[in-house]
Amino acid sequence: MKPLEITSLTKRYGSTVGVEDVTFAIEPGEIFGYLGPNGSGKTTTIRCIMGLLRPTRGRVHVLGRRVRTGWATEHARIGYLPGDVRFWKWPRGRRTLSLLASLGGDGRAQKRRGELAERLDLDLSRRVGDLSKGNRQKVGILYAFQHEPEVLVLDEPTSGLDPLLRQIVLDLIRETAEAGAAVLLSSHDLSEVSAICSRAGILREGRLVELAPISEIVQQGRRRLRVWFKDGMLAPPMSIDQLPGVELIQRRPGLIDLAYHGSADAVLKWIAQFPVDRIVTPQTSLEEAFMQYYRLGDETAAPEPEDHAAETKGGAA
Amino acid sequence: MNRPTRVPFCWPLLRSWFFRTLPVWLVIALAIFLMQIAVCGIIHDNQSVKSFLKVLDMFPSVVKIALGGNTLQVGNTPGLIAIGYQHPFILFLLMLFAVGVPTGLLAGEVQRGTMELILSRPVTKLHVYLCAGFLTLTGMFALVFVMFLGTVAAVSIYEFSDPVPLDLFFRIAINGGLLASAAGAVALLSAAYFKGRNMAVGVTAGFLMVNYFTSVISQLWPRMAFLIRLTLFNYVSAPKLWRGWPHEDMMVLATVLVVAAVTGAIVWQRRDLPL
Repeated sequence: MKPLEITSLTKRYGSTVGVEDVTFAIEPGEIFGYLGPNGSGKTTTIRCIMGLLRPTRGRVHVLGRRVRTGWATEHARIGYLPGDVRFWKWPRGRRTLSLLASLGGDGRAQKRRGELAERLDLDLSRRVGDLSKGNRQKVGILYAFQHEPEVLVLDEPTSGLDPLLRQIVLDLIRETAEAGAAVLLSSHDLSEVSAICSRAGILREGRLVELAPISEIVQQGRRRLRVWFKDGMLAPPMSIDQLPGVELIQRRPGLIDLAYHGSADAVLKWIAQFPVDRIVTPQTSLEEAFMQYYRLGDETAAPEPEDHAAETKGGAA
Repeated sequence: MNRPTRVPFCWPLLRSWFFRTLPVWLVIALAIFLMQIAVCGIIHDNQSVKSFLKVLDMFPSVVKIALGGNTLQVGNTPGLIAIGYQHPFILFLLMLFAVGVPTGLLAGEVQRGTMELILSRPVTKLHVYLCAGFLTLTGMFALVFVMFLGTVAAVSIYEFSDPVPLDLFFRIAINGGLLASAAGAVALLSAAYFKGRNMAVGVTAGFLMVNYFTSVISQLWPRMAFLIRLTLFNYVSAPKLWRGWPHEDMMVLATVLVVAAVTGAIVWQRRDLPL
């Protein structure tokens, strides 16, 4: 049994497509990154998982049970953090979290809540309405984690947090996954997705255009090369455009930025004709790969996930 | 891990919402209670009241209706005490609770964004609706019971020359409770349907205003008298209550209550939580 399985999920709002034919599953202990720009269907998918939206077509199974809209399917075992988490303004943090835990009849949350509050340096005795955005986000994180869930559904969990706290939250997610929980992490922050997720899905206009391990997705992106020429000489005339699969990103006196696909052999041979001071290869990021799906999508229809997987294998071979 | 997948009923939510609505309920209940005592206190000085009524009798019927309806014309002590049950101010207070509570609990939580948190715990949408419905309907009946208690207290404080039939006021209270609960059920339906609280309040208040003014117009304008049967307020009739339990009227109000509440439950269950 997979903790989270989504099969052919489609949700339409009248003629507008929320998500279309989305299928994926998450294994126990896996952190799955769910990526896409605003309006691509991430929140729609999450709300279908939580039974807050009724799918037009398709099925969602959580911990082996089919999700029925409005029937709180396995919610005692799910930790959920909405993208724009909002609380009642008047109650204090402790009271708010205690009420939300009691809705699930979960008496064990109190101890865990104290530990998490200490770790996140959150004062639970203050009214939630008086807290800053970052501190309210911490309350949201406590809300999602306090009952030790077996499935975590997190929509932008580190939004509004400073880098130190962001790291603590990412550690928390990692530890929860190591304890066996399945984690769905929806995020705009591709660096954090590539840091902790083993696999990711990329949504474009409601369709899942990629579903693969992060390492594979990253390989599909363009690789970057930044070259400084000796003595700040003007960058050589660019016959580089003639090299297949190479794109000039920027050219300044003494410096060029390149992007290329596949092997670096031809690019390096071309560079070797000139006096080179140093070369930097900025790490190929998930962001590069992610952007590529959107550039591709603007030119043609986005490729199906299977096609990409085949391409990648072919390329590697 | 072995955990309950769903709680049988959401008592913590009910308790939380109960304490949230309690201050409003207490303020309205106190106002209603004091109003009954004040009405009885004024009526207690009967000679002055009868002189006042003679003056009032010279006013057009629209003024008399606005001041408390046909009961003013009864002229005896129970009829005068009944003003405290039908006075527009009392109706306003009852409707304030009937409209404000369900819309605040359902549409208000949706609008605030906190409904998403509630529904992401092991709480079904039906639980949420039942909690809001239970608090609205029991709150309404508790308010009319307080109204009756106000009369009981006033009767024990003041001495009246005529006997005061408390059973009549109990009937009026129960019938009035059904009317207010029917209005509360319409508000529940509205809160279940609309995304924003203001819209839900506006539609319900509009529905009640149309009912009230239709009732007034049909009493004043004989050619429009047929409309009286279409208004909720027609089903709390002083002359019928005087004679005994108005079973037919109570059935009409109970039917409106049940139909509105059940339709609201279906709408609430089927709708998507707004994005």
